[in-house]
Formats: sequence, structure tokens, C-alpha cells
Amino acid sequence: MEQALLRVHGLAKGFQSGSEQIPVLANLALTLNQGQSMALMGRSGSGKSTLLNLLCGLEHPDAGVIDIDGQRFDGGQASDRRAQARRWADLRRQRIGVVFQEANLMPAMSLLDNVRLRARLAGRDDQGCLAWLERLGIGALGDRFPDQVSGGQRQRAALAMVFAMQASLILADEPTGSLDRHTADDVADELFRLQADHDCALILATHDAELAARCGQRLDLAHPSSSSSPSTSSMRSTRSAPADRQQ
Amino acid sequence: MTLFAAVFSHYRRHPLQLLALATMIVVATMLWTGVSHLTYQARASLGQSEQAVAERRKVVRLDGQSVAVADFVTLRRAGVCVMPWLEVQRPNAQGRVVGVDGLAASCFAGAGESAQAWNQPLNGKPFLDIRDAAALTAGPDDRSAELTLLAAEQVSQAALPAGYRLARFSLGPDTGELGESFLLNLDALGVLVLLITALLLRSVYQLGLAQRRDSFALLHRFGVSPVSVNRLLVLEMALLAGLCVIPGVALGRLLAGLLGSGFGQALDNLFDAPLYAGQAASWLSSVLTMMAVVMVVCLIDLIRPVSRAPVTLLAGQRRTLALAVLLFGVVLALVASSLVLVFVAVALVFVGAGLLAPVLMSGLARRLARAAPDPLKRWHFAEFGVLARRLALPLVALQFALAMVLAMQALVTVFEATFDEWLSQRLAADFFVEVPAGAESGLAVDWLANEPQLAASGDWQRVVRGKAELRVSESEPGQGVDLLAVAPVGRLLTQWRLQAASDQPWQAFARGEGVMINEQLARRRQLAVDGPLTLTVAGETLSLPVLAIYPDYGRPAGEVLLNAGLLPAAFKPGFESLSINPGNLDIATVVSGLQRVWQVETVTVRDNERIRELADTVFDQTFLLTRAMTVLTLILAAAALLIMGWVFFSTRVWYYRLLAVWGLRDREVAGQMVRLAVSLTIGIAVLALPLGIWLTWVLVHRINPLAFGWSLPMAVYPAFWVELIGLSLVVGLSIAALMRRQLQQPATMPASASSLAGGER
Ligand SMILES: Nc1ncnc2c1ncn2[C@@H]1O[C@H](COP(=O)(O)OP(=O)(O)OP(=O)(O)O)[C@@H](O)[C@H]1O
Ligand SMILES: [Mg+2]
Repeated sequence: MEQALLRVHGLAKGFQSGSEQIPVLANLALTLNQGQSMALMGRSGSGKSTLLNLLCGLEHPDAGVIDIDGQRFDGGQASDRRAQARRWADLRRQRIGVVFQEANLMPAMSLLDNVRLRARLAGRDDQGCLAWLERLGIGALGDRFPDQVSGGQRQRAALAMVFAMQASLILADEPTGSLDRHTADDVADELFRLQADHDCALILATHDAELAARCGQRLDLAHPSSSSSPSTSSMRSTRSAPADRQQ
Repeated sequence: MTLFAAVFSHYRRHPLQLLALATMIVVATMLWTGVSHLTYQARASLGQSEQAVAERRKVVRLDGQSVAVADFVTLRRAGVCVMPWLEVQRPNAQGRVVGVDGLAASCFAGAGESAQAWNQPLNGKPFLDIRDAAALTAGPDDRSAELTLLAAEQVSQAALPAGYRLARFSLGPDTGELGESFLLNLDALGVLVLLITALLLRSVYQLGLAQRRDSFALLHRFGVSPVSVNRLLVLEMALLAGLCVIPGVALGRLLAGLLGSGFGQALDNLFDAPLYAGQAASWLSSVLTMMAVVMVVCLIDLIRPVSRAPVTLLAGQRRTLALAVLLFGVVLALVASSLVLVFVAVALVFVGAGLLAPVLMSGLARRLARAAPDPLKRWHFAEFGVLARRLALPLVALQFALAMVLAMQALVTVFEATFDEWLSQRLAADFFVEVPAGAESGLAVDWLANEPQLAASGDWQRVVRGKAELRVSESEPGQGVDLLAVAPVGRLLTQWRLQAASDQPWQAFARGEGVMINEQLARRRQLAVDGPLTLTVAGETLSLPVLAIYPDYGRPAGEVLLNAGLLPAAFKPGFESLSINPGNLDIATVVSGLQRVWQVETVTVRDNERIRELADTVFDQTFLLTRAMTVLTLILAAAALLIMGWVFFSTRVWYYRLLAVWGLRDREVAGQMVRLAVSLTIGIAVLALPLGIWLTWVLVHRINPLAFGWSLPMAVYPAFWVELIGLSLVVGLSIAALMRRQLQQPATMPASASSLAGGER
């Protein structure tokens, strides 16, 4: 029996819009083990980014519990929130790698310096950073600045960052969303290859069904207000966990 | 119209930017209009009045009394062509006006001289009919009104009835280029302020434009030609400028009105040049000038055809060019022999420094980033470099403003110190007793001289102020000078600092064997120690050698210090007082003694402190304009940097957020921002220091000697530097606080074209 890396239940989040409260996520549950991958699907505005933000502590849930890496977070009291925010920050620093659709790099620093910064923040040695860029095929571009390379190369550098920090959980929000089909496939290949090699968990928000199919699990988010049922998310396994690992 | 709405919609989404832009235009217009309004007014009125009285003479009484209506009657009966000239100081510092009698002036015109000066409408700018001028004075013996009898050109000394003679008439002492230089300095200050505000205006506008590039690109894709977008931008700017410039001009005139009294006093107290109510600069020219400035500053890039790319210089070339301009300016300031060249040199140094400062800062940041082993430090320096480059315009404006404030402060403080030293010479005694009208000062002198305790432990002297005339040659009418007569000669006097003196000057002075003169008189009349001096005092001629020359603070009026024992009996003092250090004696005893000998109920006694207070008030009033200008500019520059920092940060907030995503705690991220903002503002303050010190040096050692003919000691005030650096710290902290507020709102991913390509760096 494997210890779950991430276990979520009863998670709810809504946003205040003027005077009314707009629910985005309600009574959501999910479990993810080390080395597993999960695709987050759903229409635009269904709450994929919101969920990812909740899972790394950038947003605070209205209700529910998140158990991650042996730590528990809940929609606690205000006084408790400060302490939780600090624990989340430490987790993000060392364990959780986040990859956005774009703008993952500090624009004033070279690709290599970006990777080094991320590694050092996570407390890792920055000796191997160039090697990470090389493994992602952009070793020759280490001295270039983000605006001097292509979008696909920037996303590769972003992947190099999360692997250089040795994240145990990668949260990727449409990481290939702004790339062309071919480049997107290349970047996705690298992501899945390294995820498997390093035995880390991955949650991938995407609109791309092909990409979602490569993940071990899939979570479909529907907008809670568009459905009468309180539990609006459906979850199913696309593949068995062992198969997921063997990839 | 819909296209215009699309273009203008940017400001609907960013109302603060529009507000900042509008404020900048209003304030720039206000400051510039205020100063130029004042200087224009002063120039016009001085010029007009000088022209009206150029080379004129007046008739004065031989007994030294001021002329009255009866004298006018006597002279007219004797057939002498004279015209009354009534100068009235209007209340609330509206400037002086001159009442002339058109009827009497007709004999001037008949005498074949150019009547042009009198033909203008008597509309109070500054001339009006003598009846209206007389109505302005409160009473018949009002001190704010002064009657002069101007003599027509053909009137000769021989034609005058007994008891009168001719004297040269001028509106105060011959100020030479002094008044003009003072105005020139103000002009330069106005131009500097305009430059700073223009920089700020441009920076705010450019920032908005950068954010609107995407929507312009979109419009272009929809088939709207860039030319029509540009046309709309011009229209938009013209509208905005029109809406803001007019209230700005109105505010500027209001400011000029508020500061006018200080300005008038500056001219009056410092240079004895009165400010007459003059014509105001026209609204239209101010509005059009500012409109043009605003349009050019904001839209200069549109004027340049796109096809012809601007001359792009490499960073290294730009640095070399900036350095060359800077050095050329420094050298020019050293060798320039005219005021205009020195101003050009100042402009060059400012341009050079302004180009160099951001390059220097970002260059230093790059070097530090390269050397830093810690990646987070490297990020800090890299980001610092970006900020220094992106905020270059408002930073440079802040640098200029800081340097200007620094130099002005140093100059005013030095001037104040010099003035203070001069004042403490004059105010060496503890108490000053005014001799009441009609009282005989001789009685008081006898009483004081016979007070044994005063003789043993105290000091006293009688001080008489009045007018005398300096005879230059037999044929020419004399020049009026201030007379300062003092006796007995004691410690209150002998502690005066002398610039040049003969052997044992005070002993000779005490024996009445000579006079002393002030620096300005010596300069203007080329008088030297031991040279002869001929004075007419109350009709009597005194010929005495110059014993010494004493310094003053640059007042152009000539002054002669005379032993009061030499005053003719007929001399009518303008003002008479006794300076007393009572020593062991109680001042109350002295006062009651004086009351007894004068047989009066009360005497006016002022103590040293009170007079100093009065003098300080006058001094502060005098420099109100300069201080207000510099402080306003500084506030504006600081506010602009604040706005710019904040707006620029909104394009950057995502990346600071990234630090939080990477696991920095909120407080650590805030700390990074504080460090960035503060090192930026402190950095520019430090760069402003050498510029400010250099500007002080130029003002003191180059501009002042060239303009005024005298130099003040150069002094720097490190305590004030600390204050300015403190101010920069506050600006930096405020920027960081604003940044932090933005950070707490959810960040959206940067969406501009440049950020999609990896963000600005
Ligand atoms: N800070 C916020 N304040 C108010 N509403 C928000 C906020 N963030 C997200 N929302 C709302 O929550 C809902 C979910 O947003 P979210 O960004 O999670 O959608 P998404 O599934 O990621 O969409 P997309 O596929 O377009 O990225 C949307 O309706 C959005 O408007
Ligand atoms: Mg999203």
C-alpha cells in the first residue's frame, strides 16, 4: 500500500463578484500517489487554474482539506492562515514545481541563471543546472535571455527549472498551451519522460484531449453552477497506476 | 468617433494615468507661467519706467527737505518747467504706481523733447493720473507716497529760484546689470523647472503609449492605418493639453500673485529696485507656448517619419557621447566669460549627467549581477538594472530636482549667512532706542556720555541715517548715496570687518579725518582707499579721503559711513537711533533717563532679537519664490516617480509574484521590493549630490560674480544632503508600499506583446 502524496477532500472555492458569491469548485476530492500523473480537463472557466492554485497554496480554500507530503492544510482560522501560508511557501520552495502557460522565467536573467535561481531557492546544488538544460536540448542557449529564445525553448527551460529543483509534485497549467502542435508534443514528451524518470507526481491542466490521454488519471471539472449535483467532478482512471509508472 | 472612442478607451481603463498626465501638464504650466509671469512683469515695468525717466533730472531743496506742493507752486511761478511725479506703494504688494500730471507734462512736450513717454494711456501700468495716485494714499503724510519734481531738459541751474538745485533722477540706485541678472537667474530657474516637468510629462505619456501599442496593433489589423491612429493621438493630446494648459496658466498667475510680494521685496530690499505694477504677459502667448511644449514633448516620435529610423547609438557610444557633453560643459563653465555661456554650460552638464546617470546605474547593476555568486542577488541586481532603464526619465527628473534643490538651498543659506554677518555688524548692540520725532538727540547724547556706569561697562553710539550726494565733477549733478553717520566711535563700530583700509582707520575716523564706503560704491565709482571723496550734505560740501572699504551682502546702493560729528547743523536725519549695550546698567534705567531728558512719556526700544526676527522675516519673504519653486518641483518629481514606479510595476507584478510561487515568503518578497525601490531612489539621490554640489559651485563662483560682481563664500551643507537622502528613502518606501498593495491583488499573466516574448529586460 502506497502512501498518497496528495489527498484532497471536500474542497470548495468560490469568488466574490460584487455582492454575490460565485462558486467555482465544490466538494472536490482527489488522490495522487508519487509517480502518478493526472490530467485536469474542463471548459474554460471551470476552475482548473483555481484548483492548481489551491494545491500549491496560492489560493486559500473556502472549505476542505488538503493533505500533501505529510502535511495537512484546511480552510482554518485567520490566525492559522499565516502559519499555513508559511508552510505552503516552504513546500513550494522545495517540493512543488509550478509551470504556467508562459512567463515562467525572470526576464532579466539568462536561462541558466533562471534555472540556478530556482535550484538554489529549493536548496539544491546549482552545479547540475547546465546539464538539465542540455537534457532538454537547450544547453547551447543557457546564456540567452528569455526574449532571445522561442516560446518552446522557454517552456523547456521552465521544465528544466522544476526538475533542477527536484520537485516531488509538478503542477502544470497548460504548459504547452501557447505552442504549435509539433513543439507542444516535443515539450510534452520531455515532461512525461522526466516525470517518469524522477518518479514525481504531475497534475496537468489542459484542453488537449491527446495530452490528457497520456496521463494516468483524468479529472473533469464542470462548472458547479451549471449542474444541480453538488459533486460536479468526475474522476476516472485512464490507465492503471503501474502502467503509469512503466511509461 | 468610434475609432476615437477605441483609442481613448485606454484612459477609461486607466483613469489614474489620465489624471497623472493631466496633473503633470497643469503643474508644469503653473510653475513655468508663474515664474515667467513675474519676470516678464518686472522686466516690462522696469524697462518702461527707466525709459520714461532716462537721463532725467529733478529739482531738490537745498536744505535737504523733501519737496512739497508749495515748492511746485514756487517753481512754476518762477517759470521753471517741472512735473510732479508721485510714487505710491499700493497695498497688498500690487507693486508701485506712478502718478503724473498730464497737464504739467505738456510743457515737457512743448520743449521739443520726445513726448512719447507721456503719451501712453495712464492706465496704472505703471502710470496713472496724479489725482488717482493721490487717492490711493491713505493720508497726506503717508510714507508709502513720495513726491518728486521732474525738471524738463532745458531747465538750467541758473534758472532755478534760490533754495533749489538740480539733481540726477533715477528710480533707485544704478543697479547696473544687477536687476537684469536677477531676472535672468529666475528665467534659468524657470527653464530648469520646465525641463524637469517636461521629462516627467514625457515619461508618463510614453508609459501609457507603450501599454496602448497592443491595441494599436489590433486596430491596424482591423484595417485602420497608422496614420489615422497618429492623427487621433495628436487630436487627443491637443484636447488634453487645451483642457489642462488653460487652468495651468490661470493657476500660474495665481501663484505669481501669491509670490509677488516676496518677489517685489526681493527686488526692493536686495537691489533697491522697485517693482512697478507692470503689464502682464498675455494669456495667449503663455497658452500657446505651453501647448507647443506639451505637444512636442509627448508626440515628438510621431513627427519623425517611421521610415527613417532614429540614429541609434550603441550603449558604449551613448556613454562616450554623454561623457563628452558632460566634460565639455564642465570645462565651458570654467572658462566661460559671459553669463549666457555659463547657462549653456549648465545645460550641457545637466544633459550629460541625465544621459549618464541611468547608463551608469544599469551598468553598475550589470557588473554587480555578474559578480554575485548568489542567484537571488543576481536577480536583484538584474531587476535593478531593468528598473533603472525603464524608469530613466522620472529618475533623471528626480536627480535634476534634487540637484537643483541642493544648490538653491546652499546658495540661499550662504547668502543668509553673509546677510546675517552683515546684520550682526549693524546690530552689535543689545538695544536700539528710536529718537522720537521732535526730540533733540544732543540731550540724550550728553546724558549717555555722563553716565559713569555706562562708560565703565557698556557701549553706546548715536546712529543717523539720511541722504547725501556724491559729487563726481563740477558740471555733472551728483549721485545720491545713503549716509550712515555714527558717533562716538566705540567697540560697536570698531569690530566691523573691513575689506581694505588705510593705516589705523578707526582712529582717523574717530578724529573725523575721513569716511568709509561700502563695497558696491567702491566698485561702481572705482574708489580706492586714500582716494578723495566729495560729498554734499545738506547743502554743505565735505571733501574727505576714503579710510576704508567695508563689505556688505551685495546691495547695490552706495553707502557712506561718516563720523556724526561732521554732520552740518542743517542736516535733517531720515532716521535717528541710539544703539546701547547697557553693561551693568539696567536698560530700564537708561530708558527712564532718556524719557526724562526728552520729556516724553514713551520711547520705542527694540532689542536685538526682535530686530533680527524682523530681518529674518524679510529675508524669508525674499526667497519665498525660489524656495517655493524648488520645493514644488521636488514634490512633483517625487510624485511622478511614485506614479511611474507604480504604473511600471503593474506590468511587472507577475514576475514578483513568481518569486512567491517559487516559495519566497510574503515578507521576503516585500523585502526584495523594498530593497529594489529604496536602492533605486537612494542611488539617484547619491548621483544627484555631485551634480548639486557642482551647480552650487557654478552659482557661487561663476554665475554670481558674472551677474552681480561679487562672490559669496562657497559652502556645502551635509546635513541637508542627509535630509534629501532621507526624502529619497521615503519615496522609495512609498513605491515599495504601493508595489506591495498591487501584489496582494491576484496577478494576471502579462499580456502585452513584449511580455509574450519573455518580458522586458
Ligand atoms: N481572483 C478571482 N476573482 C474572481 N473570480 C475569479 C478569480 N479567479 C478566477 N475566477 C473565476 O473563477 C472561475 C474559474 O477560473 P479558472 O481560471 O480557474 O478557470 P480555468 O478552468 O483555468 O479556465 P481556462 O481554461 O480558461 O484557463 C472563472 O469563472 C473565473 O472568472
Ligand atoms: Mg486556466
